[in-house]
Amino acid sequence: MKRVVITGVGAVSACGIGAGALTDAALGGISGVRPVTFPAIQPQRVGTAAALSDETLAEVAENAGGNRMRDPVADYALMAAREAAAQAGISRDDGGDRCGVMIGSGFGGGKTLDDNYLSFGRDRNMRLDPMSVPKIMNNAAASWVSIEFGATGPVYCTATACSSASQSIGLAFQLLRSGAIDRCFAGGAEACLVNGVFRVWELLRVMTATMNRPFSRDRNGMTLGEGAGILVMETLESAKARGADILCELVGYGTNSDAGDLLRPNPERAAACMNIALSDAGLTPSDVGYVNAHGTGTVANDVTEATALRTVFGEELTGLSVSSTKPIHGHALGAAGALELITTIGALRAQIAPPTINFNEIDPKIGFDPVSNTACPVETRAMMSNSLAFGGINASLIVARV
Amino acid sequence: MIEMNAERSKLQEELLDLVAKEGMVEPSDISPDKRLEDLDIQSADFIMILMAIEENYGAYISVDNDLADMQTVQDLLDLAVAKIEESRKEAQA
Repeated sequence: MKRVVITGVGAVSACGIGAGALTDAALGGISGVRPVTFPAIQPQRVGTAAALSDETLAEVAENAGGNRMRDPVADYALMAAREAAAQAGISRDDGGDRCGVMIGSGFGGGKTLDDNYLSFGRDRNMRLDPMSVPKIMNNAAASWVSIEFGATGPVYCTATACSSASQSIGLAFQLLRSGAIDRCFAGGAEACLVNGVFRVWELLRVMTATMNRPFSRDRNGMTLGEGAGILVMETLESAKARGADILCELVGYGTNSDAGDLLRPNPERAAACMNIALSDAGLTPSDVGYVNAHGTGTVANDVTEATALRTVFGEELTGLSVSSTKPIHGHALGAAGALELITTIGALRAQIAPPTINFNEIDPKIGFDPVSNTACPVETRAMMSNSLAFGGINASLIVARV
Repeated sequence: MIEMNAERSKLQEELLDLVAKEGMVEPSDISPDKRLEDLDIQSADFIMILMAIEENYGAYISVDNDLADMQTVQDLLDLAVAKIEESRKEAQA
């Protein structure tokens, strides 16, 4: 089996353009959550999201916008892929049949879908956007990245809600390890902050109307986010042959499903998923010094995940730091796993556990302090990132210093 | 104070009807001391009840620890009344 390394990362998020902006915000505990207004939601109950700032949107529009066949979701993915490729030193010449693209999304071309629904359903227009189909389809972001880099190898789009990006990265890992491909763009993209999508999240009652406080006793829901996170992953041989700088190694991937309830998570299955990743990496729990939790800040997720973490890492979680960076970049659904793995890679390289900001009080049902409010130094070779999706789909990734 | 209590008990009665309707429970089966579990009110019914509370009273209630810990219909009524009153206060402020 081949070893798999990460040589480039790129991000577009509420923290700005760039993986650096994301990582700096996460380690510094600076939130990208801001007020949002959706004109078609009357009255709007939840008033904040980790939306891209006006400056970020303008920069995306200038560099990747203006294509009539492209929804913003694909613009974000392209921006992030270009950044990752530049860092990895990859050009079109490195594309070809040995280069794959795995980019997931939860809602695909959400803006196009929303605009069309309002135009068709409310205004009864028959003249809709004729490019709606290629803009809305979930795999558009992956296809646009393949076109940009001439990546003619396998292209996949995992649409597994909040696990989309983690599973994309995991799938790329498996294909690279098996020798099926040499290089891959992997991650996720989401542009879900539109009228209709936001309203249905309001209706599910899992969004906080106040503030996102993962693991805190007074938590009352998540905050939606958006953006894209893309990694350039390749075999160690490929990276060495190109003389590329290696950011870290991806050493383990676990995924499984609950086959139980669509919305209610299952702690035993989440624990089993983390154990699969550890065993895949050939690591023991004590080798992992930090876990970037799924940590949505909903009552159900955080209790489930805490229980699962204790099952895997021991009742006291000795020597382990756990935090959720979602109050910083929001819950970016299909992009979440990628933004969080990029954050985790930044944490690994800096040897700092990013904080869970907005934290007030330990919940007796959870019983630990999730690196509350201030980052803390760690000394560890390996870190884990978890995604626990609606639909009962779990994914855990482990990165390690080379 | 008497007026406020009267208002609160009227609100509780309305909410009881709402819980029965949205939870798809026979109104005659429902009483404040009944356990939600025994009435077979499940998480999907909760979402419907919370949606109806938003529609009728303008209060957005997300799922928090208090909501997750509810056992009886009375717990639900108390929490809903508190949140509705809170949201009315906010609207006035």
